[in-house]
Amino acid sequence: MAEDVQRPDEAEDERLIESLRAIARRVDPVPAEVEDAARGAYTWRTVDADLAELAYDSLLDDDRLAGVRADDAPRTLTFEGPTYSVEIEVATDGSQRRLLGQLVPPAAARIEVRHSGGLLRLGADEVGRFSAVGVAAGPVSLRCLVEGVDGPPLDTAWVTV
Amino acid sequence: MTWRRPPGAYDRPVSPADDAALVRAAADGDQAAWDALVKRFGGLVWSIARSHRLGTADAADVSQTAWLRLVENLGRIRDPERVGAWLASTCRNECLRVIRRSGRQVPTDIGADIDLEAEETAAPPVDAALLAGERDTELWRAFARISERCQVLLRLLITDPPPSYEEVGEILDMPVGSIGPTRARCLEHLRRTSGITAHLADSQ
Repeated sequence: MAEDVQRPDEAEDERLIESLRAIARRVDPVPAEVEDAARGAYTWRTVDADLAELAYDSLLDDDRLAGVRADDAPRTLTFEGPTYSVEIEVATDGSQRRLLGQLVPPAAARIEVRHSGGLLRLGADEVGRFSAVGVAAGPVSLRCLVEGVDGPPLDTAWVTV
Repeated sequence: MTWRRPPGAYDRPVSPADDAALVRAAADGDQAAWDALVKRFGGLVWSIARSHRLGTADAADVSQTAWLRLVENLGRIRDPERVGAWLASTCRNECLRVIRRSGRQVPTDIGADIDLEAEETAAPPVDAALLAGERDTELWRAFARISERCQVLLRLLITDPPPSYEEVGEILDMPVGSIGPTRARCLEHLRRTSGITAHLADSQ
């Protein structure tokens, strides 16, 4: 290690940092359930799906926040994939979420809502609309299989709802 | 005046090339490689969530979202050697959304002027049995009361093992050269909040 001569207050800073590090290690380590869940996340690995990235989140829309904010206004999210986009509105139902979705361009599809409570299977109608209730709060991703189209499913990027 | 990196920041047994190898193996279907990534960066991701003062349920959610984002991006990550910083930035993004959702102020601009007044917020309950004496208890309580910006920075710096200043700069979107001076100001803020003076720290 380099023979650095620390200034006295820098040495004190290092000691304080080390004290904090030792305390954090004792009182706030990663909970076992969190580590187990992280290992389990690997089961969601898919080799051939297309990814629809999050392109818009009303939560981070400063223009909307500048105006009068209704506390119960649903959150809107837009995910953009190579050929389809998925727009969803998220409403809160206590500790659960309700989703109202729209495939763009409109198309009938099978939708799988992947959430911490498991999997919800539903259909999007001929104009691409779908809805889901009983979605657990937490990480969510939608897998969309457009009817009559060959090819990989479209997965929306995981977000916390 | 020069600001050096924290001691030990580079004394890691694993190199970025090893991290990249783990990412590639996990992308190829190797669960053990994935588990190694979780073991390696689980603490860092959790620290990010807690540094934003999220409760355990929210912190668990944003951590899990970050890991799930990594799973879906294993095959397309541009710089697999920097997967740690990628995970941490992803987690931080989710934290900012959760904070917005709850109506709290988002702690951005970490390097800006630190408000040295302690915030009058309730400290989280502390299990006294876990802390070695009154000094540690007081110190941890004070840590929970310092400004949000300082908490975010310090909680990241006290992660075990500590990230490099380059990684911190990337995760918090701060110029690397400002991290040392900001750390010093935040520690001074913490000392004032906790009433700990220099020679008291020495005598422990």
